[in-house]
Amino acid sequence: MTRMIPGDWFPGAIPNNVVLGEGVHIETASSFSRFRSRRPTAATFGDHSSAYAGCMFDLGPDAELHVGSWTLLNGLWVIADAHVSIGSQGLISWNVVIMDTYRASRDAATRREQLKSFAYSRDPDVLRCHDSADAPRQVIIEDNVWISFDCCILPGVRIGAGSVIGARSVVDTDIPPNSLAAGNPARIIRTLGNER
Amino acid sequence: MTDSQVQAIWDSGTLPPNVNAGTGVRINGLHAFRRIRSTEPDALVIGSYSTLDGVQFSIAPGARVSIGNYCCFTAAVIMSECRISIGSYVLIGFNTVIADSDFHPLDPAKRIADAVACSPGNKNISRPAVAAEAVVIEDDVWIGPACVILKGVHIGRGAWIAPGSMVTRDVPAGGFAGGNPARILERPQ
Repeated sequence: MTRMIPGDWFPGAIPNNVVLGEGVHIETASSFSRFRSRRPTAATFGDHSSAYAGCMFDLGPDAELHVGSWTLLNGLWVIADAHVSIGSQGLISWNVVIMDTYRASRDAATRREQLKSFAYSRDPDVLRCHDSADAPRQVIIEDNVWISFDCCILPGVRIGAGSVIGARSVVDTDIPPNSLAAGNPARIIRTLGNER
Repeated sequence: MTDSQVQAIWDSGTLPPNVNAGTGVRINGLHAFRRIRSTEPDALVIGSYSTLDGVQFSIAPGARVSIGNYCCFTAAVIMSECRISIGSYVLIGFNTVIADSDFHPLDPAKRIADAVACSPGNKNISRPAVAAEAVVIEDDVWIGPACVILKGVHIGRGAWIAPGSMVTRDVPAGGFAGGNPARILERPQ
């Protein structure tokens, strides 16, 4: 089975270690142009999930990504070196960044060496955190979460089922289920579920 | 000759004459230089071994942008009306915007005049003065994705700017900053 998308402007294909469920819609294989994961199953897209143009799955060699069924990704950037999962019936807006790693070291001297190594090797995976303080921390977005445009979800965060994150928020702590959170840094505004 | 010893390469053509890029520079993106209107001979200077992946520049007449060695920028937007200088070993993440101007006046009456002057049919009316102040980003600075760095900001050596920050004030050397507006954090997020 070919993994080229009919009518795609991008000349690439969806990588073979990406598992697609029933009725999955991937608009363009360009979303995988930074996909470098070597895991046998590096990404899974649940039934009827979708990833539109503008999505970028920037996964390092050991990273994995899971997207639940009926989840809509409308221009999401995933920056992962470990594990990012997004539940079912999620709505993720444009220019949202979900990252499980800051990639380059926090230490300026180490970062210099990484940048030099990258400039000579052109290998993006030299820009990775190896020291434990900077190690990737998995990000879990539970079912039925709506993340509005331009948000950043930082390493180690879990967002509980049913929550909504307001536009341009930066989420650096866990958000409990059924919360409306917004701001930079994001704060919980109220609990959802008793709407009139 | 190894890959790193060759001259600067832009994947979409030959570099414009007022873009001066050093050895080993790699630039991707069809629209990288489309909005450079500066006619300064050194409108854009890029040091050696820097990587600009999907970066877009807007440089007004008379304005100049300089970037040091071993920088790595991904899909950043750099908009200059006067002067933006970025040091060496600087990392900038996806969708970050750096601007050294407000681009339009704050005063409502002046803004009406500016809107008219900016319209495509205008040939003779000159625009009112707009606030602009140089941006300086020193060596070893890390700037996360989705940040905005505004006019007059000076970010000191080795500072760390959290993803999504709106930076309106100076950040001292070695500082951690984050939030909207960005504040100095005691420790990184």
